[in-house]
Amino acid sequence: MTATATRPQPAPASAGRTGKRPPKREREGAAWVFLSPWVLGACVLTLLPMAVSLYLSFTNYDMFNDPSWVGFRNYVQMFTEDPRFWRSVTSTLTYVVIAVPLQLALALAVAIALKSVKRGKGFYRSAFYAPSLLGASMSVALVWRAIFNDGGTVDNLLSWFGLDIGGWVNKPGWALVAVALLTVWQFGAPMVIFLAGLQQIPGELYEAAAMDGAGWWRQFRSITLPMLSPVLFFNLVLQTIQAFQVFTPAFAVSGGKGGPADSTLFYTLYLYDRGFTASHMGYASAMAWVLLVAIGIVTAVLFRTSRSWVFYANDDNEGAR
Amino acid sequence: MTTVDTTRAVATGRAAGGRRPRPARIALHAVLIAVLLVMLYPLAWLIATSFKPADEVIASLKLLPSHLEWSNYSTALDGVNEVSVGRLLWNSLLIAGGAVLGNVISCSLAAYAFARLRFRMRGPLFAFMIATIMLPHHAVLIPQYIVFNQLGMVNTYWPMILPKFLATDAFFVFLIVQFMRSLPRELEEAARIDGCGPFRSFFSVILPLTRPALITTAIFTFIWTWNDFFTQLIYLFEPEKFTLTLALRSFVDASSQSAFGPMFAMSVFALLPIVLFFLAFQRFLVEGMANSGLKG
Amino acid sequence: MLRNRTRVSCALALTFTLCAALTGCGGGEGGGSGGKVTLRFTWWGNPDRAARTEAAIKLFEKKNPAIRISTSFAGFDAYKQKLATQAAGGDAPDVMQLDYRMINQYADGGVLLDLGRHKELRTSEMDKGLLATGVVNDRQYAIPVARGSETVVYDSVLWRKAGVPEPKLGWTWDDWADAMRKLSRSKAVEDAGRVGGTDPGQSEDVFEIWLRGQGKVLYTDDYRLGFTADDLARYWEWCSGLRKEGAVSPAEQTTQMDGSVENTPLGRLKAVSDFNWDAPASGFPAIVGEGVKLAPMPAGEDGTPGQYYKPSMFFGASAKTGHPKEAARFIDFLLNDPEAGAILGNTRGIPANDSIRKAVTPKLEGFDVVVSTYQKQFEGKLKDPPPAPPKGDASLQTTFSRDYDQVSFERMSPREAAENYVTEAKAELRQ
Repeated sequence: MTATATRPQPAPASAGRTGKRPPKREREGAAWVFLSPWVLGACVLTLLPMAVSLYLSFTNYDMFNDPSWVGFRNYVQMFTEDPRFWRSVTSTLTYVVIAVPLQLALALAVAIALKSVKRGKGFYRSAFYAPSLLGASMSVALVWRAIFNDGGTVDNLLSWFGLDIGGWVNKPGWALVAVALLTVWQFGAPMVIFLAGLQQIPGELYEAAAMDGAGWWRQFRSITLPMLSPVLFFNLVLQTIQAFQVFTPAFAVSGGKGGPADSTLFYTLYLYDRGFTASHMGYASAMAWVLLVAIGIVTAVLFRTSRSWVFYANDDNEGAR
Repeated sequence: MTTVDTTRAVATGRAAGGRRPRPARIALHAVLIAVLLVMLYPLAWLIATSFKPADEVIASLKLLPSHLEWSNYSTALDGVNEVSVGRLLWNSLLIAGGAVLGNVISCSLAAYAFARLRFRMRGPLFAFMIATIMLPHHAVLIPQYIVFNQLGMVNTYWPMILPKFLATDAFFVFLIVQFMRSLPRELEEAARIDGCGPFRSFFSVILPLTRPALITTAIFTFIWTWNDFFTQLIYLFEPEKFTLTLALRSFVDASSQSAFGPMFAMSVFALLPIVLFFLAFQRFLVEGMANSGLKG
Repeated sequence: MLRNRTRVSCALALTFTLCAALTGCGGGEGGGSGGKVTLRFTWWGNPDRAARTEAAIKLFEKKNPAIRISTSFAGFDAYKQKLATQAAGGDAPDVMQLDYRMINQYADGGVLLDLGRHKELRTSEMDKGLLATGVVNDRQYAIPVARGSETVVYDSVLWRKAGVPEPKLGWTWDDWADAMRKLSRSKAVEDAGRVGGTDPGQSEDVFEIWLRGQGKVLYTDDYRLGFTADDLARYWEWCSGLRKEGAVSPAEQTTQMDGSVENTPLGRLKAVSDFNWDAPASGFPAIVGEGVKLAPMPAGEDGTPGQYYKPSMFFGASAKTGHPKEAARFIDFLLNDPEAGAILGNTRGIPANDSIRKAVTPKLEGFDVVVSTYQKQFEGKLKDPPPAPPKGDASLQTTFSRDYDQVSFERMSPREAAENYVTEAKAELRQ
């Protein structure tokens, strides 16, 4: 890593003057010039702390005393002796499966609808984004609890239809759904990204398709979806990664406890609890690396499948997959 | 889910350039407004609660307060008196502005390399970049703090801005990569034949065409930095250096006598600047392709 | 082309301006202007505490022109994490406000300065038992600032309406349980849609008082568990019984407690009483009404009082501070100076310093009077507080309520949960 960063870089100024494809070495040099800020940041601000945390995961670090090496003890303990760890794994997976598809579907649907709206575009865009401006603060959590509580708005609404749940946030089975809905509600970021992606699709494509007599569904399937697929893929990957790391909504809604009965004790919430409340930072670091590997596997699978459905314009970019 | 399908139908129908019949247009608006009403209900609740007297904040299950309790707002603002609101606003703007600039510059540079240039280890480095966002930030908080402490940057704005200039936000690098990859390659080929090197073609061909992504990056960076209470909390010490978000949260986060009313008022108050920001800049989101024109 | 170039140079110019502005702002580091010593001081608290603390600091700086105090504060949760990160990064502030549960961990980790060695800091006017709570390994690492005590907060209007006699000093846990049953069955309380009180099963604090009433302790002096799984199972079975009878709050209400007054069953107007600390109880009148009163905690069957004066917060200094003398003098000023005492009042709780407490008491107003009167009735009647809890307790406190959640949602039997808790607690304390 450092070796590549400090590699002498050929002067890029001459590149391109010849009018022919510049020699490979120079193009490679240009790439490193473009990458230089990233390489510096990755080494000092990312790689270094990551390496430290990997080391700490093999120690009994408690934030105050010097860490001492314990080998794989943290990892063994996590998988064999900690029932709360497994509860957090189950609830996190459930959350990912509920929140990610719902949020993306809603974001995509609204983005596509907004693209075709002529009047009040700015208003709609702002209004749909408004919940996302809030983030998941304490007050949002309290609102959520008020709405999803016993006798709250949702409860009253459902009881008209004869469904008596008696509050969501205070029931082990339902609290997780309420937290997931909080994430779904804040679908502004993927929506805006979809909108930006839709902007990039050349209108000529639709015109040509319309002339060929293609209906909306054909157009959606053969123009919108493939052209939007890089952005759709981006949203899918990023939202999945973020969902695995879900912290703030559950922390806020459950007052930091992950209750009721550990039902919203998501993985990072438990990690935070181990690290900062119990000061078992070594154990928390081990949990972090297990999560990294798990997310890494899921993401690698997503990248693998992307080859069959993500469409890049004239791409020769095999390396970056 | 049926609404999704109908909106899609209408949407693409419109995009095809065919005149959509009036009823369909009205139906689209009706659906959008219905969804909006549901979505904005919690927001209305938040604003209404900021006017509720203490005994109604939690215990009342009614949306509207029995009377308007303005004292929540005065209490929330009283606490901030120590430092002028103007100063806090300036501090927030400085951090958010610096972060936007840093992210737009550094992330687009790195993204161009990943999306369009060939270099050794591109695959592994790209994978590494994506991996950096997979480690929960709580695990690297302390090592990162030590790094910034060693650099003498604690209690300055650098921990909030420097990482942005060094493209550590893999989210945005990846975002811009995806946008660049969907641009047709012929554009650069043409530029190359005209004698453009990678730098010229980056600045004059690719960058203008990635505008939707860059604007998205700018807007998200601004909002997320503005709201990033946590980093500001950890790295800033003196109240004169506090941001608006940090000051409001710190001054109102009462310890013993918790006061939820002022906290809601504070939330609404802290929301105002970013709402204004979003209203002002969201229109740039539309002006992507339409103006810069792929045809050009 | 030209347009693009101007744009780029504009961006560059902007970058430089910004950098300049930033370094300008960051320039104030060190603060060692003219031989002045700067102490960094952090605490958690609310705007009132901030205003009073600032005023006291101004006075201190006037009296000690060579010392400058730079202050910072945050809400409690945020503060806890910020301080932990700073301490772990070797960057703890010179003087800090500490919680009971932080003392052991911070002292053990070498973060805190041994204040006992600094004569500038006088402790003669403090209760010896209270002072001992800041001692770890025979060293005075922290000095208690103020004291609080656990209480039964209740809505006296509804309580009387239900026809149940009001609690008084010396009532026992059986009396309390009876009162809960009678309250919950009474028409007045039932019509209001409430129950007698909060289920105490989720609270480690209440459990400790219950234990102490039986002559036991939560932790022994050598930091081992002071009770057995049998004790805990008995406690949770008793709580569960009351819950199933409907005498105390149901699981759905109890689980929503997050430390705020608003989210207790009493604060949500779902109960008539709640267990809480005396000072935070000041949040109740605004929600529940002016009839809010404080009753003593129930005692053991033989009248042994379980409750104690608990130090509500401490001051400590960093072991790495460059100016230990000045830090000690500053803490001394905050705790012992009569003028400072008058300014600070009881914004951090009823002062631990005896003479300051006496001087401040007549000037109190509002709910402070209630708290002060409440504490006065125990003067000389309570046992010494336990030493600061071992470092594992910070996580065990959460584990306690989590495990009880498993009981109250009927996913585990009290016995099973108690065994679990004791196993985990033993592992935690060994580390």
